[in-house]
Amino acid sequence: MSYVAVVDDEEQVRKALTRLLLASGLDAESYACGKDFLGAIAKRVPDCVLLDLHMPGMTGLDVLHELRRSRRTLPAVVITAHNEPEAREECLAAGAVAYLCKPLDDRVLLNTISASMRRASGGHAIPGER
Amino acid sequence: MDVHSASQRFLGLTARRWRTGAVPGPLAQMLLVAVGYYAAARVGFAFTLQPNPISTLWPPNALLLAVLLLAPARAWWWLLAAALPAHLLIELQSGVPTAMVLGWYASNCSEALIGAALVRAFAPGPLRLDSLRKAGLFLLCAVLAAPLLSSFFDAALVRLIGWGESEYWDLVQRRFASNVLAELTVGPLILTWATFSSARLRAATPARYAEAALIFGGLFAVCLVAFDLPQIDARAAPALFYAPLPFLLWAAVRLGTPGAASAIALLTVATIGGAVSGLGPFTDRTAEDTAREMQLFLIAASVPMLLLAVALEERSRAEREAHEQRLQLTHLARVAMLGELSGGIAHELNQPLTAILSNAQAAQHFIANKTGSPQVLSEILQDIVLADLRAGEIIRRLHTLFKRGETQFRPLDMNTVVGEVLDIARGDLATRSVDVRRHLGESIPAVSGDRVELQQVLLNLVVNASEAMSAGTAPGRRVLTVCTGTEAGMVKVSVIDSGPGFPAEQHERMFEAFYTTKAQGLGLGLSISRAIVRVHNGHLWGEANPGGGASFHVTLPAA
Repeated sequence: MSYVAVVDDEEQVRKALTRLLLASGLDAESYACGKDFLGAIAKRVPDCVLLDLHMPGMTGLDVLHELRRSRRTLPAVVITAHNEPEAREECLAAGAVAYLCKPLDDRVLLNTISASMRRASGGHAIPGER
Repeated sequence: MDVHSASQRFLGLTARRWRTGAVPGPLAQMLLVAVGYYAAARVGFAFTLQPNPISTLWPPNALLLAVLLLAPARAWWWLLAAALPAHLLIELQSGVPTAMVLGWYASNCSEALIGAALVRAFAPGPLRLDSLRKAGLFLLCAVLAAPLLSSFFDAALVRLIGWGESEYWDLVQRRFASNVLAELTVGPLILTWATFSSARLRAATPARYAEAALIFGGLFAVCLVAFDLPQIDARAAPALFYAPLPFLLWAAVRLGTPGAASAIALLTVATIGGAVSGLGPFTDRTAEDTAREMQLFLIAASVPMLLLAVALEERSRAEREAHEQRLQLTHLARVAMLGELSGGIAHELNQPLTAILSNAQAAQHFIANKTGSPQVLSEILQDIVLADLRAGEIIRRLHTLFKRGETQFRPLDMNTVVGEVLDIARGDLATRSVDVRRHLGESIPAVSGDRVELQQVLLNLVVNASEAMSAGTAPGRRVLTVCTGTEAGMVKVSVIDSGPGFPAEQHERMFEAFYTTKAQGLGLGLSISRAIVRVHNGHLWGEANPGGGASFHVTLPAA
């Protein structure tokens, strides 16, 4: 079963997205900030991460930079409640596989996660993917 | 302006009533002028001290002049024509030759026309006694010039026709004094009440009605004692003249120009009414002297009261306008600031919307897969409700801020206001990656203030700090600290940022209107914020932090 991490400082959003992923047959874990997530990946590396862009302290972009610094090739889907074209370019340049605006439609979100995991695994089927 | 709308104005009736047909047409107005002229002439005859041939107060001319001042010039002729039947009816009863009756009609109309034309030349449109300039113009043109010029004409006609024995200059002097007093008494009464808004009467509190009753009741009682009782001791006369003064002043200060004009009219009627009946302090002399002395007394008492009432009303209107402009500007600045925050607001609204959508879709998946227990579905529904309530609260707060309203002072907890402001700015602070820290003092006394205006002040400080940090500080170091506490009996709120700060020369300049360092901005936020805080009897100032960044402090007196 694929494991997806959700990093968002908004508790309501974090909870709802985690629920949606679980309901869709994926394993999911949520984190309230970038630091908690980066600390957790030492123990268990997710197959994909949903990363909120605007978080106090460490932003989603900071997390992407940190992942790149630590040479982790983890597919990251950036999600944001405030769409900015420049931010999109920055995130994609920093290694994000997709940039989605909230509110998130389940089909778009699940297809994006599925596609990014497929790309990361070199086109092989993802365990647990339906 | 056509005849209908002009007549509508001078009758002081509203456009709504005109549309519903409640305003009399031109014919009905002519009838009103005729009836008014007739009644005014009856009063004039009643106020004639026999055997003095000229009334102490002759109101018909003043009535005509006031009507012309409210009507458009093209309506003047038919309004004057309306007075002719009434004039003929009353004058022909007194056995005066027809030539003299027509002569007096001509001189009466000439007074109204001269006064109205002179006033209209300097103050176009219907005259409202709402400024010292217009009141001065009315006194000079309608009260002084019109009676004076028409009295030369009137006396010449009397001598030409050969009516009576009086000398030309004697006639001029007596008619002039009688008409000056009438213009001063009747003119302001008609002008102020015809243009008085009925909404003001409806808006008056019961206490204001009681005050008006006290003023007019007191004035009536004093006039009765001073001017309408047999004079017991002639030495008390000078003191009696001053007895109505407190009530006249009270009316002028508290009831505006309609109140002052009504009080002057009451004083005039009581004084002349008493003298005509042989009562009051003006009885121990000839009819001629009595009339002259009463006229001088009433003119001397009326002019300052009228001017005082107008000056006070003008000042009160200027204050109302300044207050209204401040409210408008404050509202505009608030709306502009919310415009700047639109990105952050969208962010803030999208969060609960995301929670609602994802929760609902998760429930759909659970139901489709038959994996969702009733407890899980119940939790989902509960979270949807919470997110929906949150979105509703954001919209409610925004609606309150967007709305324009009067300043309303209520006891406020500044910790709550700080919380509301940070909630509104949360989206903006999040999109700028600003870390917010709250150091809210415990048991802070309440302040007396307008919630929306104080929210505006703090929101302005928070947004300024957020923008300053966003422009000049790295994302990880953007820290906004909001502190509340008490200092020297005042409630203090401080908004501290870790931005680039500001140079010393901007210390006071940034509170000036239209001073801004932003590429996009009106430069009104801080000046309006300081004005709002001043209205709350508080202070707002800013200072550069020693270690970098800026601090803005608001102090407000405890309620």
